[in-house]
Amino acid sequence: MKMLLTNHFPYSLLFLAQTSLTLSGSASASWPHTDCIQANEQCISDQICSSRLRTLRQCLAGRDRDVLLSSQECKTALEVLQESALYMCRCRRGMKKELQCLQVYWGIHAGLTDGDEFYESSPYEPVTSRLSDVFRLASINSGTEAANSKQNACLDAAKFCNVNDVCKKSRSTFISVCNTGDDALCARRKCHRSLRTFIERMPSNLTFPLLFCPCADKPCAERRRQTIVPSCSFNRPEVPNCLEVWATCRQDPMCRSRLADFITNCQSSSQSASGCVRDNYVACLGAYAGMIGYDVALNFLDSDPQSLAIGPWCSCSGSGDQESKCELYLKEFTQNRCLRNAIYAYGNGTDIVHKQSVPRPLFTTISPRTEKRHVLPDNQSDSNTLYEVNPDICDTIQGKKNDSSPHIRICVSESQLNADLTPDLRIDEKRSGIPRHRASMLSTLVALCLTTLF
Amino acid sequence: ARMKRARARKQPCTIKELEVRVSELGLGYVSDETVLFRYCSGTCEAAVRNYDLSLQSIRGKKKIKREKVRAKPCCRPLAYDDDISFLDTKNHYHTIKEVSAKDCGCV
Repeated sequence: MKMLLTNHFPYSLLFLAQTSLTLSGSASASWPHTDCIQANEQCISDQICSSRLRTLRQCLAGRDRDVLLSSQECKTALEVLQESALYMCRCRRGMKKELQCLQVYWGIHAGLTDGDEFYESSPYEPVTSRLSDVFRLASINSGTEAANSKQNACLDAAKFCNVNDVCKKSRSTFISVCNTGDDALCARRKCHRSLRTFIERMPSNLTFPLLFCPCADKPCAERRRQTIVPSCSFNRPEVPNCLEVWATCRQDPMCRSRLADFITNCQSSSQSASGCVRDNYVACLGAYAGMIGYDVALNFLDSDPQSLAIGPWCSCSGSGDQESKCELYLKEFTQNRCLRNAIYAYGNGTDIVHKQSVPRPLFTTISPRTEKRHVLPDNQSDSNTLYEVNPDICDTIQGKKNDSSPHIRICVSESQLNADLTPDLRIDEKRSGIPRHRASMLSTLVALCLTTLF
Repeated sequence: ARMKRARARKQPCTIKELEVRVSELGLGYVSDETVLFRYCSGTCEAAVRNYDLSLQSIRGKKKIKREKVRAKPCCRPLAYDDDISFLDTKNHYHTIKEVSAKDCGCV
């Protein structure tokens, strides 16, 4: 096999493997990214960069943005900026001057999202921690009381917060602000603010148990549903249209970022074992928590412990000709496989097991956007989608760069697709970076493809 | 055991804490939530002032009769802890003030 690899390695795939390896390498080396405040300062102190930035701002601010952007001046400005640290900058959640950082980020990215505005990528640095990290912290913090009563995990979560002075204070603050007795008179904005403070200041080993406690009975599930004092922070007298709620959210850099963070980190994949494109449950749960205190927040919709009905407080009625689009977006929240799996996994205390199994036929590169691609026009460049594969057939792929390169067959067996722990493999978006294990699996893939070929 | 108890009672005024159910607070709330209850406990012998001695003496001479007076300093909260909020069994939230001690002293 080694011989085959060196002698008959198809160039396109070699190129592909190398690209992804480089990407993963540089990605991990460059994290944490420069934050946008720093990057902005760097750019301002550089004459070329700052003048291009000014130009680009003008290009983006104009009413005929698309016309302007196609002008040579705007194109040049964009090209220069795309090379700068400013274009790659990210923000950290809860960082000092987070709003300022996000304003810089969206100042550049808001106008430049190709395709669907709903699927904006997160302005936040990728989360690297795992569920095990959250649990480890939890056990340190709560000492011997960790596994006290398994009966009502949500009650235990309340206890852990109550016996911690800071958590108790912060929880009491939002509860007393949000719970005014008369729900029609509740100060929603103040309630949201104190909820956000609670979520942002408390470590996830205290907030996650309150938000995602596993439940076997109704009292527990009702308590979980009540965590955010939904009567004030979630429910409203009227049910607004979802598209309007999301559009309003996008006016506010903070809300927009939290929404984009959820869309990015909880993006479902029917191919990945975890159910998540990003394969990181903590990131998804954190993104869910990050929307709390904004109108786009999700909550449990009933107190049925089994159903796990989750959604935002809005509906698609009144969407007019956008109704099917609205329904499609809404499903990203209400029927989100990644989020559900993440909550179940949190309850079980089981993280994704990255099992590099014995070589067997495997399935391959599905772009993170593939699922949407079927329904929505997406005129993104192909740079992050090297090829698409219909997952249940053997597909023939031709090298993109070189027509004379050999054809490669990539095979997927159906049993593989249904297997729970099938390793997930894909060429991710440039920005998200590819974890090393994936890169190494890519070489396995290449090897396997070659075995099928020769 | 008696010696131990006696010694324990001689402990100077200090703050102690206990995990209790909200229902056990006896304030009429029904909730299984556990909260941290901090209370003041201990003696105040070191805090006896001339005031206390004088009062005792004057009371002993029956100069003060049908009045309630306290001729000993008392271990009491000097400040109360932050509010405590909890969800009751009927899924209503409540916030209670000044339930738990924050700082104790002999007054």
